[in-house]
Amino acid sequence: MNTLDPRIQRLNLKREANGETQTNSHLVTYEVFHQEKRGKQAVHAGIVHAPTPELALMYAKEQYGRRGKTANLWVVKTSEVYTFSSEDEDVFETVPEKTFRDPAFYKVRDRIEAFKLKNTQA
Amino acid sequence: MSNAVKELLYKMADDALIIGHRNSEWTGIGPMLEEDLAFSSMAQDKIGHAIALYTILHEVLGEADPDTLGFKRTEKEFKSCHLVEQPIGEYDFSTIRHFLFDHAELLRYESLTQSSFQPLAQLAKKVKGEIKYHVMHADTFVKQLSNGNEESKARMQQALNNTWHLALGIFEAGEYELELTSNNIFIGEAELKKRWMEKVTPLLESYGLTIPATDESKIAKGGRKGYHTEYLKPLLDEMCEVTRTDIDAEW
Amino acid sequence: MYGNAFISPEEAKRMNEQVEDADKLAAFEDRITRGEKIEPGDWMPAEYRKQLIRMIEQHAHSEIVGALPEGTWITRAPNFRRKLALIAKVQDEIGHGQLLYSAAETLGKTREQMLNDLINGKSKYSNIFNYPAKTWADIAVIGFLVDGAAIVNQVINSKGSYGPYCRALERICYEESFHLKQGHDNVVYLATGTPHQRAMLQDALNRWYRPLLHFFGPSDKTSVHSEKLMKWKVKLASNDDMRNQFLDQYVPKILELGLTFPDPNLHKNDDGVWEFSDPNWDEFYEVIKGNGPCNAERIAVRKYAEEAGRWVRQALLNPSDKYVTPLA
Repeated sequence: MNTLDPRIQRLNLKREANGETQTNSHLVTYEVFHQEKRGKQAVHAGIVHAPTPELALMYAKEQYGRRGKTANLWVVKTSEVYTFSSEDEDVFETVPEKTFRDPAFYKVRDRIEAFKLKNTQA
Repeated sequence: MSNAVKELLYKMADDALIIGHRNSEWTGIGPMLEEDLAFSSMAQDKIGHAIALYTILHEVLGEADPDTLGFKRTEKEFKSCHLVEQPIGEYDFSTIRHFLFDHAELLRYESLTQSSFQPLAQLAKKVKGEIKYHVMHADTFVKQLSNGNEESKARMQQALNNTWHLALGIFEAGEYELELTSNNIFIGEAELKKRWMEKVTPLLESYGLTIPATDESKIAKGGRKGYHTEYLKPLLDEMCEVTRTDIDAEW
Repeated sequence: MYGNAFISPEEAKRMNEQVEDADKLAAFEDRITRGEKIEPGDWMPAEYRKQLIRMIEQHAHSEIVGALPEGTWITRAPNFRRKLALIAKVQDEIGHGQLLYSAAETLGKTREQMLNDLINGKSKYSNIFNYPAKTWADIAVIGFLVDGAAIVNQVINSKGSYGPYCRALERICYEESFHLKQGHDNVVYLATGTPHQRAMLQDALNRWYRPLLHFFGPSDKTSVHSEKLMKWKVKLASNDDMRNQFLDQYVPKILELGLTFPDPNLHKNDDGVWEFSDPNWDEFYEVIKGNGPCNAERIAVRKYAEEAGRWVRQALLNPSDKYVTPLA
């Protein structure tokens, strides 16, 4: 092979001749969760293809931890993760309206001020 | 004593540079993308270790600067072992070499955390995590391939057979072993080799591989004295090709 | 790194004519209009899925094939700083490929199928990687200008509608900023170095000028638009706009170093638009057809990597594991 790359010159490129492809060596995927530092949540970062959880961790470290800080990584097989169907997204629709769950819903300062005012006047 | 320390640092640095350089040849053409990334990171780490060691040679022991040591020395001045000089071959060879070499590296650096030569002890403490990862990767990967299928088992056994005596060349004694050990700078190659055998033998056996019988006459020696295989000179010529086109230029 | 996805005129026409379930389509398009992202499990028009797979796949191929011209100099980088930077950069391209294949996988095509299609020639990658990296200065030019062009494209694409692709691009753009900085650093060292270094840099600029103009694809005047792709936020900017943005950002940074481009007509007109000589679009189409200087080598090397790595992947495979489409 005519190449400018000395690495490629050293490869045994005779093998390229047959050019057949394969369809049965697709490794499963693991979902990777990255914890940047202690005390923080582990956050979904992406996936790796790997044959075992051990290698998935080895690979996750390089793909999702080779820059910046990492405290830990979790991996879980994609097939073990359960999610809602996107057609069922409507189950979440009214949640934002339920303001009785929010701290901002409870505003009593005005009432306290009014109470104080009334008492001082009395 | 400084000659003894220099000898130790040069061989460690040269080993790290040459194996890092070799393993970087896989970057972009590895067997799968994730493995490509992992192998490349480890190659970068190794070159980083070489730079750190050359830096000690330069700053503490008065040798030339790291780039000069890496890119402007002759073949004879390199003290790398024959194992690291070999071409990358196929992935079986590269993986077994990685396993055998990194186990020796981990034990070497672990022992050096106790070195009386402080700059080296500090470096050893700093990089032990990196080398631990290299060994974790090697163990996991060699185990998987050795237990994979008939082809992969046969390949790994063959690669081990071909690599064994090269790997034993890592522990070729230097001129200053006694000085290094008696001054608590380093445990010495003989002790390191003993620890390494105790570590890799049961591991490889647990993967179902058979350790080749050691034939003392076949151990690949000479590298520590500047006698190299036919592969080192072309490697250095290639590595220094650009540098040599304009030797005084800043790149 | 990435070049623009190339769409044939016939295909664009066919896409514009395809029909889908009206209600679902309306809901899908409303979501995009509202600025919401589409996620893998959502209903989407078949054409949207198909075009995204093709586009992300081409992008992924461009990353792993793009690793090859730069890989040419991995073993020859002239000092430790450059050596580490180049290995790390080529590694990043592989990492970007991994992220992009993962994003495309969420649409239902496996990585293995995509890699097979790369080798079979069924799917394309950016033309620019079919040119050789002849000298060390090519590494500087690729690192600065090819990556610079890729960033223009990728920043725009990261505002697109498909969630997994946008997420991958955000991370890629962050990492590309390192590529750009190290590329610029390399260019500046050569430009301010010895006469030999300056000469090799000028020579590399001369050779990469035309492929860089080709990078964003044919002029808007001659290429066929797909309104659908614009509406669906698969394509977000026109070829000419992106090319102009690139020239605007990077030409001055080369000129300030006293270097030149081999085109007397290259200049910015009064409307702020860059003009240049015809960069020979016939050559562009020839390279797409497979007749560029390095097409055969690039495919041969990818074939080698696939085939030489096959026993490794086979040995790793656990037959009881069942592959499912990744989540995000």
